[in-house]
Amino acid sequence: MESVCILGAGSTKYGKLDESIIEIALTASVDAIESAGISPEDIKAGYISNVFGVADKQVHMAPVIMSNLGLSHVPGLTIESACGSGSVMFREAFANIRAGFYDCVLALGVEKVTHTGTNQSTTLFSYCSDFFYEGGNGASFPGLFASIARAYMTKYKADEEDLANVAVKNHENGLLNPKAHVRKRITVEDVLNSPVVASPLKLYDCCPFSDGASAVILCNEKFAKKSGKPYIKVIGSGRGGSPAAVQGRKDISTIPGTVIAADQAYKMAGISPHDVNFAEVHDCFTIAEIIDVEDLGFFQKGKAASEIRDGATSRKGRIPINPSGGLKSKGHPIGATGIGQIVEVFEQFTGQAGERTIKNAEIALTHNFGATGASAAVHIFKKVN
Amino acid sequence: MKNVTSIGVREKFISSAQNSKILARKCKDCNTIMLATILYCEKCHGKKFNLIEYPGKGYVDTFTIHTVPPEGFEDVESYAWVVFTVDDVLLRASGFLPGIKKPSDLPIGSEVEVNGFDKKHGLVLKKI
Ligand SMILES: [Zn+2]
Repeated sequence: MESVCILGAGSTKYGKLDESIIEIALTASVDAIESAGISPEDIKAGYISNVFGVADKQVHMAPVIMSNLGLSHVPGLTIESACGSGSVMFREAFANIRAGFYDCVLALGVEKVTHTGTNQSTTLFSYCSDFFYEGGNGASFPGLFASIARAYMTKYKADEEDLANVAVKNHENGLLNPKAHVRKRITVEDVLNSPVVASPLKLYDCCPFSDGASAVILCNEKFAKKSGKPYIKVIGSGRGGSPAAVQGRKDISTIPGTVIAADQAYKMAGISPHDVNFAEVHDCFTIAEIIDVEDLGFFQKGKAASEIRDGATSRKGRIPINPSGGLKSKGHPIGATGIGQIVEVFEQFTGQAGERTIKNAEIALTHNFGATGASAAVHIFKKVN
Repeated sequence: MKNVTSIGVREKFISSAQNSKILARKCKDCNTIMLATILYCEKCHGKKFNLIEYPGKGYVDTFTIHTVPPEGFEDVESYAWVVFTVDDVLLRASGFLPGIKKPSDLPIGSEVEVNGFDKKHGLVLKKI
């Protein structure tokens, strides 16, 4: 088995972008290639994650992107797993390097959706649910997480202020990220006074619809060392699944796929949750981050809200969560999100995170899932000094 | 019908809902009960089942009310999307409950009943 490394990373700004989906995909790819200091011919395969290419009149994304990079002979693979597409795709790129099929590959996530408008985007996102039971019965995506929030809040006596604390913290972090979509300081009162989208979730409990692309270069350690450039190691990888419909879960206040993926990743890395110095987690809605940090083992079930209130997840807390600003502030271009999290880890561990830098961090975790958690992936990274 | 087939199962589930029932599958090997739309036993992965119609009555586990309804539901003034547990069976389903305007209209644990299957709005519930 080969050790897997990240040698380069690049990302567009997240937000409302005017360029086409292919243009933003190429921008992030070129940034990652330049960052790794490699030649395009070093890339032996292209892994591309995308969900709603059809909304920008483009499917068959991987070969189109590879061709436009001048690499039409290089095999490409497009992977869709709703909001978890990026990390699910990364896992396949990781597995192929680890197995020795390739020594260097491109992993690129891309999404372009804002041009469709909020109503059309909401409709598109509802197709990621188990539509027969959810979208088809009137549940929007915020509605599904609102139902999860109500179940969690009922079980653990959490309140709307507990949810708001997550949004306030992530917006604070996003202020330091020049590529974040929503760079705006907010207060608990702002969240509580924002309009209800789907009770109990309000506007500021929800991440924005974003466009964006993020890319990383994966390679084996021999390749990384030879390059002479800074790199980081991927030391753990896990994948898990949950019932696609919320109704299928025995406990609605947990996401089984996260627990399964985290367990696998911790075992592969040979570490426990307490060894992780910071994490980028899937905070599509504020309730998701509360559930994530419990399912990942950072806090006991039902305890995250009070820990977050006490600052445990802030940049200087015991386990900083989403120093990039998370999906909530950095943005959520769904096909790119899982790779964007890894870009943040790369920047943190190679001295490029500026004021966001988590001091003395050596081990970081990324967690990303599709829809309400039906497809989940967890990866663990180690700084190389 | 063979014991494990997806052919026609959703249509059967829909016609049960039209009769205020929930169509489930009970595993002949381990007695696990699942919605009929799931094919193999989730617990023992068995392939042999009895199809059973349960009375579509249950209680609310969780729900939401949308401020702006999603596409296809704009014609409904106000509704809740509800996850409920079928009475006496460890089985959850979800549906559309019209007429709910605010969270206090539907405390957790409220009793609901399947009230048909609408072409446009899916599994319809009513409060009882
Ligand atoms: Zn069974």
